[in-house]
Amino acid sequence: MNMSESTQLVPITVSVNGKTCQRQVEPRLLLVEFIRETLGLTGTHIGCDTSFCGACTVIVDGDAVKSCTMLAVQADGSEILTVEGLERDGVLHPLQQAFSSNHGLQCGYCTPGMLMSSLALLADNPNPTRKDIRKQLAGNICRCTGYQNIIKSIEAAASAMQED
Amino acid sequence: MEMKFDGEFNINQPRDKVFEILRDPEKFAPLLPTFHSMEMKDSNRANLKVKVGIGSIIATATTELILEEALAPSRIRYTGQGKVMQGAYQMSSTFELDEIDGETRVRWQGRTVLAGKLLSIAGGGLRSYAEKEINRVITSLQAALAPGAQTAEIRVPEENWFMRLLHFLTGTHKQEATDSQASPATAADTTMTYAPHPADTLQSRKDSIHKINRILDAGCNAMKPGRKEDKRLVTGQGLYVDDYLPAGALHMVLVRSPYAHARILDIDVSRAESLPGVICTITGKEIAEHTTPFTQIGPEPSARIQDFCLAVNKVRYQGDPVVAVIAESRHIATDAAQLVEVNYDILPAVVSCEDAQTDTTVIHEEAGTNRTWQGVYEYGDVDQAFAGAAHIVRIDHLKFHRFSSTALECNAVVATWDRRDQIDFFCNTIMTVPIAMIAPALDVRTDQIRLRTHDIGGAFGNKIGNYPYMTLAAFASRKAGGAPVKWVETRSEYMQAGGHGGERNYYDTEVALDKDGVITAIRSRHVDDCGAYPRYEPLGCVIWSQVLPAAYKLRNVRIDFSQVVTNKGPCAPNRGYSRLPHMWFMERVIDICGHELGIPADEIRLRNYIRDFPYTTPNGCVYDSGDFVAMLNRARDIIGWDDWKQKQQQARTEGRIIGIGIGTTLDSGTNNFAQSQIINPFLPFSSNSVVSTVKLDLDGSISASVSTFPQGQGHETTTAQVIAEELGVDTDMVHVKTGFDSERNSHSGTCGTYASQFAVTGLSAVHGAVVKLRNEMKKLAAYALEANENDLEFGMGEQGPEVRVIGTGRGVNYWALANMVNYNKASLPEELREISLNVRHTYVPPFEAPDVEKKYGNLTLTYAMQLHIAAVEVDPQTFKTRILDYVIVDDCGKVINPMIVEGQVHGGTAHGLGAALLEIMPFDKDGNVLAGSFTDYAPITINNMPDLKCSNMQTPSPFTYNGAKGMGEGGGAPLHAISAALQDALYDQGVIIQHSHNSPMALHDFIREGRQRPVTTESR
Repeated sequence: MNMSESTQLVPITVSVNGKTCQRQVEPRLLLVEFIRETLGLTGTHIGCDTSFCGACTVIVDGDAVKSCTMLAVQADGSEILTVEGLERDGVLHPLQQAFSSNHGLQCGYCTPGMLMSSLALLADNPNPTRKDIRKQLAGNICRCTGYQNIIKSIEAAASAMQED
Repeated sequence: MEMKFDGEFNINQPRDKVFEILRDPEKFAPLLPTFHSMEMKDSNRANLKVKVGIGSIIATATTELILEEALAPSRIRYTGQGKVMQGAYQMSSTFELDEIDGETRVRWQGRTVLAGKLLSIAGGGLRSYAEKEINRVITSLQAALAPGAQTAEIRVPEENWFMRLLHFLTGTHKQEATDSQASPATAADTTMTYAPHPADTLQSRKDSIHKINRILDAGCNAMKPGRKEDKRLVTGQGLYVDDYLPAGALHMVLVRSPYAHARILDIDVSRAESLPGVICTITGKEIAEHTTPFTQIGPEPSARIQDFCLAVNKVRYQGDPVVAVIAESRHIATDAAQLVEVNYDILPAVVSCEDAQTDTTVIHEEAGTNRTWQGVYEYGDVDQAFAGAAHIVRIDHLKFHRFSSTALECNAVVATWDRRDQIDFFCNTIMTVPIAMIAPALDVRTDQIRLRTHDIGGAFGNKIGNYPYMTLAAFASRKAGGAPVKWVETRSEYMQAGGHGGERNYYDTEVALDKDGVITAIRSRHVDDCGAYPRYEPLGCVIWSQVLPAAYKLRNVRIDFSQVVTNKGPCAPNRGYSRLPHMWFMERVIDICGHELGIPADEIRLRNYIRDFPYTTPNGCVYDSGDFVAMLNRARDIIGWDDWKQKQQQARTEGRIIGIGIGTTLDSGTNNFAQSQIINPFLPFSSNSVVSTVKLDLDGSISASVSTFPQGQGHETTTAQVIAEELGVDTDMVHVKTGFDSERNSHSGTCGTYASQFAVTGLSAVHGAVVKLRNEMKKLAAYALEANENDLEFGMGEQGPEVRVIGTGRGVNYWALANMVNYNKASLPEELREISLNVRHTYVPPFEAPDVEKKYGNLTLTYAMQLHIAAVEVDPQTFKTRILDYVIVDDCGKVINPMIVEGQVHGGTAHGLGAALLEIMPFDKDGNVLAGSFTDYAPITINNMPDLKCSNMQTPSPFTYNGAKGMGEGGGAPLHAISAALQDALYDQGVIIQHSHNSPMALHDFIREGRQRPVTTESR
């Protein structure tokens, strides 16, 4: 079936990184496509087409969500945080700094998803065990680091934020 | 030389308050963003230290600042003086304050006088630049004086204008403009605030949002800096191909074959083309008419294979691209692709390596056979060694499986073939070879092609296979009238076609050993399966021989090596390319021999390890340095080898199955391309070369480009390390271009990021370039300082990075050097006018041509080593393997950056463990892809990865300037170690580990099916 000709656009309003965005979207548009293509926030990545890899993870209404597994229209009325919203006044969030300091990234493609999943973890559990970290990130694939330094990064961020 | 400036601005503040700030050096000076510290001599006089710099080059400089006049409430005058660059400067600035309608008008004047020889060479022609800078400073001063501004906390965008001017004139101007340009208003815009949505009544949602907001505001302690690449990557500012969408770009989507082997009867694109928004379609027929088949690397008859960027007449694997659809949006192109109708006549699929060898069904009729290459590698006197052997171990069949490192970013390209006949590729390929493949296919000169990359989301060798898609996208762009055409492979497409590591079979292996268990000879027959099109193959038919004897000292080897095509996706080099399967084979051999002869796994290795380096292998390769014995001893100590052997015995009595195994591996780096002549004597390739450009840019900042295609290996960081070390500056001052761009003119034909070579080839090129640059800088500095070159040194001074006379304060900074060369040529004597401070260096490793007939020669320059020990447990019910302990000792010579090296070790280990236990690309008998998604393929996750215990040893390479060895591919030791550990666990149940992949199902089959034992041992 040809969807392009007859598709009716649907108006949605979302808050992305604190800014209100109103757009007309195709019903089939995935949230990740909306974020990347409609809003131009390309920090959120696509690494698979079966909601397996987690590169597209963002925060929707306080929860980590794989944005390829949600339609943009489903996000209507939501508050979304992407990797671009982590930095504050040019200062990296402790998680961002910890990933850099501990070599928790190599190619960087999975990193935005890793950061957002980790953020959701630390929001719920400021002092996670290694097991907690593994459980939270089981849906985020990294093909470069072997995960060792990702675990270390999250532990370092948690520790730095506790000490603060 | 004298310059004067003046102007005025208004401030909505009482005059007294403005005066109070401006008249007090202690309040005024800290407003300078460059302020470092000050020492008040008296109330009107201060020695001021400011941070000054070129680009990110920051130093501190001292100026004597004097408050000459302070006539309250209307007039303030400062003067300053100091010495720079063999000259002197004097400056003054005056502020006059008037009250107008409750506001304060500030009128200002500045005057600078410079004198001295160096200033006359390097200091002229700067007025308009200076004015622009002054305007920025005044703007910041206004902000600082504005109502509400807290003087102590004000971040002034730019330094005080007279300091700024001074720094500029003396070759020390500052950057850091970007983050400080944010006014309070824009800072507020980026603050995260979540306004509650009116429809939201769920408390849990509010709680979640609240938690996230709270953690977003978390501060933290200082942490050490990471890599140069990291800032953009952790902030979502990386630029991967899919992030790039030039204006007017069109989108390409491919229609792929559902069959593994079929004749294309007809194609109907009419419905697709009639869909609004579709620009055009392309079929194989058109491609065959307008392009030339890709160059084949192999000799006759595989050289006759016709490989185009779309299937022509026939499809040869499931996923073979048949039609390209180009449309205004990806969604439209996807819709239109579904409207394309293709009729096929299905042919028998050749799936197994064994079937391919029979040639019952030939995949490429023009070649007449499925065999792409065959040759015998024979060294020493094999038959005599067997005649004198104490033991002969025979292994029927071993098999290395097909898998892929599956970089998280798939293949992608944005191609633009514009109407001026230039082709631009913004892509994620990983070497310059595609230029040489694409140009003949499209019948263009290589200099019509611009190849560029930025950030690449991993590649692991696979993305060498991107060039057919790049060719097709360029063709599509031309057909579409020159618009950019973007193609981004989906994960499902990748699983069919994106490039898998090849499968290898080892038949009829015979191993001769002496009475002590020392291997004296091996004879075997190896067959590679490279999938439907050879592409980069059959290079793998020689590359394995870089590590022919593996870690062992045997001298007699005969291996009959061949390769076939099958109806499976075309293979591409995959981390450890070709050497990894051979190392796995050799490790299986030694491990099985140990078990067969009753010699412990560690002991048989110790008896067979090569011990003296440099070591020339039977086929002429030279292992540069290493110490296998020390690596094994260290690894055994860390894991507690003897303890594990005891635990194993204890566990057996409890019905538990535990094993411990060793994997020793080599990572050969820096190819001698002449080895390709062993495959095809007509290939005009030899040695290797990598290029780097290092320059002082127009303003004296240090800029470098390297002809590599980094995908996470941190080349910007290590390049900056090498340059900073040579110049005695901080790495922050070195700016390394991201990615590759052929228009930087910093490449040769073999440049790229492959085959574990950057630490050697890339950094040697960088080092060569920076040494040349140093020589040029010395010549200039000697002239400017009227000194002898031998009396000069590099380092940081008050004027930032400088070249100075040793032991004196007399120096000339980088800005001044760059200015002499770029703007002030006439000031230089004739013999210095050719200096460009922009140097290019090509590193060429010391290789000779090999003896092609004898297949003998030095094929690679360096050999990094890894030794892994795994302790595993197999569940007797589920046959699932659990890793109980895992130790790694790695030796890659001198380590440039320990953090990056360890990261590579971790990553290579994850690929190996994934491949050993989880990841496989299986096909059914019809050639259907059975792992069509990540969900089926199961790439290793954080839950499957054990905690690794890593240890590093360093035996420097004698063949590289820095003692380093390439080490990125790693050599796949986890595959060896896991196979060995499983062998150790299951040998007494009659199991021989024959496959590199050991899923629970595979182990179940081995253990439960009671196969015929594939190993026999004859002792004489």
